[in-house]
Amino acid sequence: MDKPRRNPRVFSLVAIPPSVWLLAFFLVPLTLVWAMSFGQKAGLIDIDYVWSLDNYARAMDPLYLRVFAKSFWFAALTTLICLGLGFVVAMSITFGPSRWRVPLLILVMLPFWTNLLVRTYALIAVFRTRGVVNGGLEQLWEWGNGLLAIIGLGHLELLGARFEPLQLLYNNGAVVAGLVYVHLPFMVLPLYASLDRMDRSCIEASLDLGAGHLRTILSVMIPMAMPGIVTGVIITFVPALGSFLTPDLLGGTDSQMIANVIERQFKSANDWPFGAALSFILMYVTFFAIALRAVWISRQRRLRGSL
Amino acid sequence: MAHHHPIQPLEYGRRLWLRLTMGLTLLFLYAPIVVLVVFSFNDSRRNIVWRGFTTRYYEKAWNNDSLIEAFTNSLTIALISTAVSIVLGTMAAIMLWRFRFPGRSACEGVIALPIIIPEICMGVAMLAFFARTGWPTDLPWPLNLGAITIAHISFSFPFVTMVVRARLQRFNIELEEAARDLGASGWQTFRDILLPYMKPGLIAGALLAFTLSLDDFVITFFTAGPDQITFPVKVYSMVRFSVTPEVNAASTVLILITLLLTAIALWLQNRPRRGEIEAG
Amino acid sequence: MKNKSGRGVSRRSFMAGLGAVAAGLKFAPGTVLAAEDKKLNFYNWDTYIGESTLGDFTAETGIDVTMDLYADNDELFAKLKEGNPGYDVIVPTNDFVERMITANMLEPLVGDLIPNIPNIDPTFRDAAFDPGRRFSLPYMWGTIGIGYRKSRVDGVPDSWKWLLDSDRYAGKVALMGDGTTMIQLTMKYLGYPLNDTDPAHIREAQDLLIRNKPNVKVFAEDNGQDLLLSGEVDICMEWNGDILQVMAEDDDIGYVVPREGGLLWQDCLCIPAGAPHPANAHQFINHLLDAKVGAEIADFIQYATPNAAARRLLPAEYNSNPAIFPPAETIRRSEVATYQGIEYTRAIDEAWTRVMAA
Repeated sequence: MDKPRRNPRVFSLVAIPPSVWLLAFFLVPLTLVWAMSFGQKAGLIDIDYVWSLDNYARAMDPLYLRVFAKSFWFAALTTLICLGLGFVVAMSITFGPSRWRVPLLILVMLPFWTNLLVRTYALIAVFRTRGVVNGGLEQLWEWGNGLLAIIGLGHLELLGARFEPLQLLYNNGAVVAGLVYVHLPFMVLPLYASLDRMDRSCIEASLDLGAGHLRTILSVMIPMAMPGIVTGVIITFVPALGSFLTPDLLGGTDSQMIANVIERQFKSANDWPFGAALSFILMYVTFFAIALRAVWISRQRRLRGSL
Repeated sequence: MAHHHPIQPLEYGRRLWLRLTMGLTLLFLYAPIVVLVVFSFNDSRRNIVWRGFTTRYYEKAWNNDSLIEAFTNSLTIALISTAVSIVLGTMAAIMLWRFRFPGRSACEGVIALPIIIPEICMGVAMLAFFARTGWPTDLPWPLNLGAITIAHISFSFPFVTMVVRARLQRFNIELEEAARDLGASGWQTFRDILLPYMKPGLIAGALLAFTLSLDDFVITFFTAGPDQITFPVKVYSMVRFSVTPEVNAASTVLILITLLLTAIALWLQNRPRRGEIEAG
Repeated sequence: MKNKSGRGVSRRSFMAGLGAVAAGLKFAPGTVLAAEDKKLNFYNWDTYIGESTLGDFTAETGIDVTMDLYADNDELFAKLKEGNPGYDVIVPTNDFVERMITANMLEPLVGDLIPNIPNIDPTFRDAAFDPGRRFSLPYMWGTIGIGYRKSRVDGVPDSWKWLLDSDRYAGKVALMGDGTTMIQLTMKYLGYPLNDTDPAHIREAQDLLIRNKPNVKVFAEDNGQDLLLSGEVDICMEWNGDILQVMAEDDDIGYVVPREGGLLWQDCLCIPAGAPHPANAHQFINHLLDAKVGAEIADFIQYATPNAAARRLLPAEYNSNPAIFPPAETIRRSEVATYQGIEYTRAIDEAWTRVMAA
């Protein structure tokens, strides 16, 4: 929906406030850190702005590249799972009874108004070795044993000599589960916004023409909801990539993500220039991916326009 | 007997697989919350194993001035941040959707930056910025929360922009042209056609901005000065001595308050109003 | 353009000072140079103060104290690095006191304003990390050692071997998430000095940690004691105070400093450069060093107090608790962490990143 700048007053009204804000309260601080990334530590506090690429070179070490790769993998997995679950949830809300729509939306958002740390500790309480899940399973195990004893098979120890609790925490799976837990609403909201006013007649038409529900969803609903999907993917993937509290608290000994390394640079390693360099590499890569997508979209649009 | 008619093709909300997945997801989301609430009544300082029922931690939380203060600060910041973010975010969304101007893609890129920047990097950037510009740190409440609020707005409004834009992309421009043809002014068109259409996007954006602000730890930590404590920062610094039931109690109360606020907002919204026509 | 604020008078504290002066001039036209505002910004670890200490101080002096919290020294340092945002008293650990002194981030203490200094035990009146105690005074001290669950562990596990080099308790071991401490204590196990900077030794420590990683369940971020209490792990590396707190809830938990020696730490009271209320800060520090106040604090938080006068007021069960006051032999074998410079910090960080990534 592009219109040329025929309406200068409206344009200034909508363009100036956000631009000024971004400039003053985002770009300027960011430039400070960007300059830092080309600098070098000089003593405990000071930074020499030597304008060298040393920090970036150091970041290219396979040690850090491996951590980047693992982080991308975790974030991608998280986004995929969130997309699946989020789409189902968004569909349930959009195509359900309309008076339940906003309450359901609130219901999905509500856990996320709880403090992340407290929620993560609660998650731990549910999944740890003596937590709720294992407690429940242990109860089932005991009932199972009781049952077996009644029918005379108790001595065979069919369910094992001792209850083995599931190790649901302190491994990579737990980190992904935690990331999904934190980022699910960031996926649901744009999906909902996109599905909400979708033209239902297209879906009905597809069903009338004989396509099954699955086919309809895949070929009609998903392409029509694509802007929402892409938004959801971006605002889920990127924060997931940069999260460090969740891997810190739920991860095992090899769940280190890139944000943990960056955090350490700004804190215990006290190497702000290197931390800045790592952060910017992360940003450049994500930025590049988003820019690619924008280029691809505008090319699609031009192609479609020329038809 | 109203709901015993066969499932219409589009009534996905009633299909079993959808309901099942939705149910499981809600279970996954809420199990820790339920545990959180239950453990707020736990009679154990370290709150690891259940040791008995008590409500004394609610009393403790009520009497804990710094916790209440942190609470209040967090809510204040979140409300202001959400309000401003909605305005700025919508403006930016309209600007990008409606106008083609030189530097548009660059603009898009810059607006996306606060989303892709690692939080700790932004936190350090804001710290450096406020330190070097000599931002005053001893203003009276609530002005002293200014630095934190500014930082929150900076990272919240791009999220609102993205959500509102996704919504606007499906807007049928002919509706607007029709309104113009019928004699509506620019402002009327905006208020009666565009705004109602954007509403789900605005609501989604507001919820997102509110959540982001309420729960932010990293950026707030770096931009907060003395006596500017917020809830997540307070909880995080308490972690060294474990998350006591007091914190659970406070979180439970926070949930209840937000539920209450939302219920009020919904009720206000759904009151019958005269002469309202929904667009589209 | 580098901003040198934070050393001497920062712009912020200058403005604050101006404000204070202006306020003083406004409300007390007779006074010449007004006293400071009756306020104090205290930046401390959580619950690291007595139950009524702050209230008592306010009642006595009329100075209003706000206590903000941080969770580790690195955060404290990062917050103050760009200039003091307005804190008057901070509580860094000894190696960070050293760092801050090197970086000129602390105000020298005026001994005359702190008459309670003689209360301090003679062994703490001087320190290698702050010669002459010009910038810091001791607050609490303790050790890092091994916390364990007595019923699940053979005897008393008094060697780092059980955490760092053994599969006896595989899958039930928690180590610390702080790379510096981990490498330093691994050095102790390998028989090297805690603060060894030899790159070959650092690599040795790194390799040992990587080799032993399969036996470790988690690198606990400050919650090793909770993992021990909940049965998630049976043996962990933790600060003595943390283990003491869970020992109060569970008799099956014990604490020991291994025979190779542990890490001795000391938290100190300091005034950061550019503090807006230095006079109040000195008064506050003096209050904390008072015998009765010190005893109250120590009794509440169960850490070892360096305040000899306070110790005399405390019950025997506190003074003779080996987890709080370890035997002299243990102290002799344990070491204090020192700041070793930038190269060492970087080497440790890279080694630790390798350990975590392996």
